Amino acid sequence: MSVAIDGRATSAEGSLLDAVLAAGIDLPHLCKDDNLPAIGACRTCLVEADGRIVAACSLPAEGVSSVDTQSERVRRIRRSVLELTAGMQEAGSEGTAGGPLAAAAHLAYAREGADVARFATATGSQIDVSSPFFAFHEDQCILCGRCVVACQALQHIGAIGLAREGGATRVTPGAGVPFNDSTCTACGSCVAACPTTALRPKEGPTDG
Amino acid sequence: MAESIASTCPYCGVGCGIRLNVEDGRIGWVDDDPANRSSLGMLCVKGRFGTSFVHHPDRLTTPLIRRHDVLEEATWDEALDLVAERFLAHRGHFGSFASAKATNEDAFVQQKLVRLLMGTNNIDHCTRLCHSPSVEAMLTQLGSGATSNAYADYEDASCLLIAGCDPSSNHPVIASRMRRAIDDRGTALIVVNPKRIEMCDRATHFLQPRPGTDVAVFNGMARAILDAGLDDEAFVAARCEGYDVWRDAILERTVEEYAAIAALEPEELRAAAHLFAAPPPRRGLPPGERPGSCLVWGMGLTQHTQGTANCHAILNLALITGQLGRPGSGVSPLRGQNNVQGCGDAGCIPDSLPGYQHYDDAAIAPFEEAWQAALPREQGMRATDMVERIPAGDIRAMYIVGENPLLNEPNLHHAEEALRQLDFLVVQDLFLHETAEIADIVLPACSFAEREGTFTNSERRVQRVRQAIAPVGQSRADWDIVSDLGRRISRRMGVDERQFTYAGPAAIFDEMARLVPFLGGLSHDRLDREGGLQWPCPTPDHPGTRFLHADSFPRGRGCFVPVAQHEIAEEVPDEEYPLILNTGRILEHWHGGTLTRRVAGLLERVDVIPVMVHPDDAASRGLADGDAVVVRSRRGRLSGEAAVSDAVQRGNLFVPFVKLQDSAANFLTNNVYDPTARIPEYKLCAVSLEKKRGRRRVGATAS
Repeated sequence: MSVAIDGRATSAEGSLLDAVLAAGIDLPHLCKDDNLPAIGACRTCLVEADGRIVAACSLPAEGVSSVDTQSERVRRIRRSVLELTAGMQEAGSEGTAGGPLAAAAHLAYAREGADVARFATATGSQIDVSSPFFAFHEDQCILCGRCVVACQALQHIGAIGLAREGGATRVTPGAGVPFNDSTCTACGSCVAACPTTALRPKEGPTDG
Repeated sequence: MAESIASTCPYCGVGCGIRLNVEDGRIGWVDDDPANRSSLGMLCVKGRFGTSFVHHPDRLTTPLIRRHDVLEEATWDEALDLVAERFLAHRGHFGSFASAKATNEDAFVQQKLVRLLMGTNNIDHCTRLCHSPSVEAMLTQLGSGATSNAYADYEDASCLLIAGCDPSSNHPVIASRMRRAIDDRGTALIVVNPKRIEMCDRATHFLQPRPGTDVAVFNGMARAILDAGLDDEAFVAARCEGYDVWRDAILERTVEEYAAIAALEPEELRAAAHLFAAPPPRRGLPPGERPGSCLVWGMGLTQHTQGTANCHAILNLALITGQLGRPGSGVSPLRGQNNVQGCGDAGCIPDSLPGYQHYDDAAIAPFEEAWQAALPREQGMRATDMVERIPAGDIRAMYIVGENPLLNEPNLHHAEEALRQLDFLVVQDLFLHETAEIADIVLPACSFAEREGTFTNSERRVQRVRQAIAPVGQSRADWDIVSDLGRRISRRMGVDERQFTYAGPAAIFDEMARLVPFLGGLSHDRLDREGGLQWPCPTPDHPGTRFLHADSFPRGRGCFVPVAQHEIAEEVPDEEYPLILNTGRILEHWHGGTLTRRVAGLLERVDVIPVMVHPDDAASRGLADGDAVVVRSRRGRLSGEAAVSDAVQRGNLFVPFVKLQDSAANFLTNNVYDPTARIPEYKLCAVSLEKKRGRRRVGATAS
């Protein structure tokens, strides 16, 4: 089975996102970790599959005949999604420290030509520095859920969750207690997974 | 510009893959390595955030020589010449501890120096203090002292029985893999532990026996399996021996009687036994495959005067149920240190040559040929015996590499008294720890991040360690120091110094692989190309071995060993010392804490010894959670903080053996030993507990 990605025949294994990435196309996918199940929360991997706009991470490649990642329509919608995503982040408080993926969101905004100042729907503004190892800056959180999946599906600890609904949704360690008082073991998998600097290693020397 | 170097975590025996990101010569963010077959992209807090000890200002940067009772800086030439001279003067009364934190290559060169130049088999390492009973029991019953299976088998099992271990604290990534099996595949979990551990949240059965009654627990399970006819008769007939004698011994008591000794409910013991012998298939078990059960244990079984008996009792369960040698089954002593498996493989044990080869003519010949000299054939002294035999003058000089006995031996006051009687003590390590402080010469070794080599993890996987930063100060890799010393000793003895001339760790590994058949197919090059591989791997085209004992045991037939339950411990509670002290570890601190106390974040998480005490025992002493307390035994005392919790049984305390604020559990523990494995009884001694009296305020006057 194969699928045509922007006109190139590609093996239809795994999800459409897998096929797109295998074809060498750099499609944003802010909530999808290489080794973990798809979340389908961020909608930044939108493509046009047989004429329908779909999130590539959530659809099996098998059964799709052609995918357009660069049509005028899908580029416009994807850009808007990225602009809405960028609107959740408070400009100027990104900080300099971050995990290995910390620049992923901003690289995606730049590549897709998103106007990061178009919307301002900033999420919460809490800062949790209780852990000696990392900090959580809610104003950089895009609610992608990767930290939640890393904690649950990778480490099976389940210390982090998404609380409340709709516009009030928040990432939170347990029942509203700070990270250091929760069941968090500070394994850092959430920090490694965060595509912004919302979860960031603490700066400065940790020795002595 | 940051550089990312793939290596292996220096903490526990899980052997997680780490990527060290280095900028300006310093390690920054540590990334997980999804390509690593043992850790699958996971890390724990120590691997992720705990490697900054390598940059700590306390690192030793030059050799030190004691002059006029003060350790003074010296050159490498001065120090190594002096060591060579003095070691030779003590030939015949010499012993050495190797390091389970160092690499296979370091270990191999060290045992070579001890055997070839010092002419003795007095070499040992911390396996003596953790899993020597497991190794003894497995060698007797199966013929191999290694974990029989792989972490993948925990995920393929239909039932996991974990006894005397707390994976979420001590092997966190194995705990994650077990949770994955339980959550995603419906694998059943049985926990056997006198303390309620975190994994109990997911357990089908939690057996909480009276401390020190493990033999009764496992014999009771065996009785229940026999009663229910759940024994694997075909496996026993085809693969085992000693069955009749063992069965007769088991049948001497009923399940009810065994349960009574262990203070368990007979029905619970029976149900757990039945579940282990014949678990319902997990989700996704291939059709036609028999559901497997894994036995996993830790130091809760081994660190007793009946440690070897405990291990025999649990191994008998694997044999009677045939839960060995198939996917999803097997026996696993969880190894503590990053390279405790490899340090033994490389020959740093007094009982055998590298590769567990005995001192008989056939086995020793290839070594004598390769090294061009006759080698000693007498059994060497075990680590605990070396310390105990210093006062008698049997050991007068010691070479201690990457090990801190004055924090890790039992009854530390006694151990210090012994070590101070040595004529000559050389300590080689990263920091000036308690043992280094009393040494005659201290040699600065470099850390895992400053050297090349390999570690072998708990599932027999040999993995690469790679240099990420330059050695700190004048510190050098252990293999480099030991070979330099070997050349100096060789010259003084008039023997060929080329036996200690190596191009580097890859060449040392090649020599080891030539002499150890189960490593024969491995090399640094191959590990670089293919990633970590599990031994036995005898030839370059062999893919490595996921589980052992598929068709036969190394000794031929698996052997049942009947064992009887004795008194729970050498020292039991009395009026003066009414409580039982159980020691162990916590997530944040590594063993004695020499490394983790030098990681600010880990120390911030736990900076005082938590003394876990049952609410009733706390109440009767007027203690509240967080109160400062003093714990005393006949041998010493420690200060800590009450952590009131019903995770421990009434009458029991749990204290991690990390040293914090000058207090350590091993000042209290009892220096009595298992007769076979010579492991100390760390897990059980009698203590008292009281609230710490408030310090008098400065300037306050007595009224």
